[in-house]
Amino acid sequence: MNFFHRARRLLALAALSLGLVSHAADSARPIIAKAALAETPAQRITLISSLIGSGDESIAPLLAAWKEDALFVFTAPDGTKIPVQLSGDKDNKDAQAAVRIDNGQPLHFVAAGPALRLVASELAAVEHTSALRRAMKAVLDLLDLSTPDLKKRISAIQTLGFAQDAEKLAALQARQKIETAPAAQLALREAIALIGLKDASTDVKLASLKELAALHTIGSADALKAALKDAEAANHPSLAAAARLALNAVDRHLTTVNFFGTLFRGLSLGSILLVVALGLAITFGLMGVINMAHGEMIAVGAYTTYVVQNIFGPGLALSPFGFSFHLPGLNTSGWLYESYFIFALPLSFLSAALVGIAMERTVIQWLYRRPLESLLATWGVSLFLQQFFRRVFGSNNVQVSSPSYLSDNWTFNDIIFGWNRVFVIGFAGLIVLGVWLVLTRTSLGLLIRAVMQNRNMASCMGVRTERVNMLTFGLGSGLAGLAGAFLSQIGNVGPSLGQSYIVDCFMTVVVGGVGNLPGTVVSAFGIGLADQSLQQILLNPVLGKITVLVAIILFLQWRPAGIFVTKSRSLEG
Amino acid sequence: MITQLKKLLTVGALALGASFGTAHAAETVKVGILHSLSGTMAISETSLRDVLLFTFDEINAKGGVLGKKIEPVVVDGASNWPLFAEKAKQLLEQDKVAVTFGCWTSVSRKSVLPVYEKNNGLLFYPVQYEGEEESQNVAYTAEAVNQQATPAVDYYLAEGKKKFYLLGTDYVYPQTTNLVLLEYLLSKGVKLENIGGGFKKDESGKIIAAGKYTPFSHTDYQQIIAEIKQFAASGDACVISTLNGDTNVPFFKEYAAAGLTAEKCPVVSFSISEDEFRGLPAKQLVGQLGCWTYFQSINTPANKKFVADFQAWLKTTKAPGVVKEGRVTCSPMVLSYVGVYLWKAAVEKAGSFDVDKVRAAYKTGLSFDGPGGKVTTQKNMHVTKNVFIGETKADGQFKIVKSFDNVYGEPWLKGKFK
Repeated sequence: MNFFHRARRLLALAALSLGLVSHAADSARPIIAKAALAETPAQRITLISSLIGSGDESIAPLLAAWKEDALFVFTAPDGTKIPVQLSGDKDNKDAQAAVRIDNGQPLHFVAAGPALRLVASELAAVEHTSALRRAMKAVLDLLDLSTPDLKKRISAIQTLGFAQDAEKLAALQARQKIETAPAAQLALREAIALIGLKDASTDVKLASLKELAALHTIGSADALKAALKDAEAANHPSLAAAARLALNAVDRHLTTVNFFGTLFRGLSLGSILLVVALGLAITFGLMGVINMAHGEMIAVGAYTTYVVQNIFGPGLALSPFGFSFHLPGLNTSGWLYESYFIFALPLSFLSAALVGIAMERTVIQWLYRRPLESLLATWGVSLFLQQFFRRVFGSNNVQVSSPSYLSDNWTFNDIIFGWNRVFVIGFAGLIVLGVWLVLTRTSLGLLIRAVMQNRNMASCMGVRTERVNMLTFGLGSGLAGLAGAFLSQIGNVGPSLGQSYIVDCFMTVVVGGVGNLPGTVVSAFGIGLADQSLQQILLNPVLGKITVLVAIILFLQWRPAGIFVTKSRSLEG
Repeated sequence: MITQLKKLLTVGALALGASFGTAHAAETVKVGILHSLSGTMAISETSLRDVLLFTFDEINAKGGVLGKKIEPVVVDGASNWPLFAEKAKQLLEQDKVAVTFGCWTSVSRKSVLPVYEKNNGLLFYPVQYEGEEESQNVAYTAEAVNQQATPAVDYYLAEGKKKFYLLGTDYVYPQTTNLVLLEYLLSKGVKLENIGGGFKKDESGKIIAAGKYTPFSHTDYQQIIAEIKQFAASGDACVISTLNGDTNVPFFKEYAAAGLTAEKCPVVSFSISEDEFRGLPAKQLVGQLGCWTYFQSINTPANKKFVADFQAWLKTTKAPGVVKEGRVTCSPMVLSYVGVYLWKAAVEKAGSFDVDKVRAAYKTGLSFDGPGGKVTTQKNMHVTKNVFIGETKADGQFKIVKSFDNVYGEPWLKGKFK
């Protein structure tokens, strides 16, 4: 049995390699050219699918160009249509050298005439539908089995595995012999085992199930469930038991992934809460100003990031209050453009701090002894600022694109660590450390603590309380600005950005204990972890959020002053 | 003597004024526009106000309706649902408009519905909605579920998708649509375990809600994305999203950051049109799908003329509050436009502005060749129209990948698919 099996596989392998050789002889170019001119999408798909197994090196770049709308149809004066690819540098008329797709030669009108140069915008790009792209992907997947790009290679292997197509088995096994990367080896083992599930022989099936149990990949769960059903239907107890064993292994793996995934997501949500609430912990917690405009300080930071991004790019035309002006752009690209975010961070801090200081000087400094009036006044400022954003940037949300170093992920053992999330956890740590250092290791920090504990006494000791108030409020607002810069990377930037975070901010500060920075840290992570765990358990974000809010209300009934109670005179006054 | 003369003059002037007044009134017909011009919905609804004013100008320039010029009465619903009902009452009882074009959210429509039924008014409703409603006082030019959601599922099935994840914002339109989709998917042979997002069952075990829901302006999609990634791990999966408005931004940013792409697991969104796209991160959305009865990229002379005319009107109009830069056209706008012309056709067929007569004429199957192709009215107050599926491109436009011609608008879909 086993011998026959091996023999069969060997034969298949031999047949495939023969196929590869025979295909390689006739070039793929004429087929692709024919597909480009085909009348219907179905014909295109058939032609493209016929390339499967071909080893022609021109396939990958041509299909990639097709996907990127870079294949064109040129209509010659006599009416014949010739598919071409444009290459080389553009001259002053935007024209590029045209290369025929069917033979890879430059395009001529007459055999001896000069090579034609064409302008891309004047030609019709060859269309592609997603069904066609799937057909291309199938072709490329087999080609991709040997691509040096590891991610692409693994994705190709997985696609072939999930298709559970026995014809592809030989190609996978051939690859397995020469594959060196451990991750790709794992993917190959999985793909081969998945295909084995469809094998006619029970031994192969059992071996495949055992292999899948050992690999316990999430992707194999569906195939395993199907295999279990088949085994039960065929009344095959040993197969069914093996399938159940494999499914259990996958389930155990899923539990682990979800546990650590939830932990990480909770940490990242906690970090976001911490980043947005830390500024409020200073302006509300330490200074006692019920700062309803805190959310708008976040928005100032986010809009600053938007402006910086546009200055690094094409510039920005604004027309606030009837004046229109144009901020010149640096027109950078590549990594220099993507570094805009690094510059946006300090600028967001600065701009929000300046707005905060202006607000403190004009409105808040008169209200330190009247907390309820400060609520109304700062709410007014918040409405004013929202309207200001609408006037300057329009009432629509604006687009902030994330740099590539914040929009990818590491995946370890199927747990996703998004770079933006990893970044925010580190960012929150740095900010907390920075604030702690400022408050405890600098003379400004000493003055801040003195003034916040007892404004009158500090004043008597010769501290310029006015100045300290101003700087403290500026610090709190600046931190909100930093939060805004980060939030622009994960969500909306619009006039009402602040409104969606203000409740969370107050919640975090109040639960942690007003006037207590460690309390804010603990409560931010506590709320973040509780929220994510409840979402994971209840599988319902609405219910999860409600449960967290109810829990907080109950908690505050029990401990009205929050987790850490601060005994401070300033709050009694 | 002089006083008498004065009196005479005043009387004369009054009479003149009155006669001018009546003459003026005889030449115009009042038409209501009931949209939110402030509040959260203003971003979307202001565009509809603009396109309606454009349509009225276009019709007036060609002589109006039954020889009368259209006189728009614009009121602001302010994204406040009870206020919508009050404004509707004002339009019908005070201004006595012949017809109203308005409403975006289903809840605003439900709020004004009793007012229109009581006063026997006529409302043209242009935005995709959940169905399960058929009032004699509402002309639904909007996409019914079978003119948007089920064609998208057909497209996915043809693409070989086997697993469907349902996701939406927590309110009536997504909830109802997903229930209909669940029935539809099951009727197409998709297994229940291959439909993701979770189910809620009542005591008897009957499914009363399908899919995953997030509140309005939800910002944290980490957990849902992780779930989708596991759901899609075995290939051939797709997402059907009825997420509303700006929650799409954190969703798609997180989606891209988790390494999910349109090729691995495409998302079709029913609430993102060209107009909403202006505030979304284009890079992260490329290749994802939209499904509407109109796209600005439709390559027909009628559509090109419509887009050009609208842009030209934007440049010259003096209507207050119209944003002139960076404007696009989208399906709800075109359905508003088409609605006006269908109403005009019905009025002209009826030879009267009387609501009962107009409705009777409207139900006889009137046709209009709009920017998205031919639309035809139906007996059930809905319209037959073409449906398009498009892939988003980086420039905020859609590339049409599939079209369905003349899809009948059917509001009653629950229990239809067995």
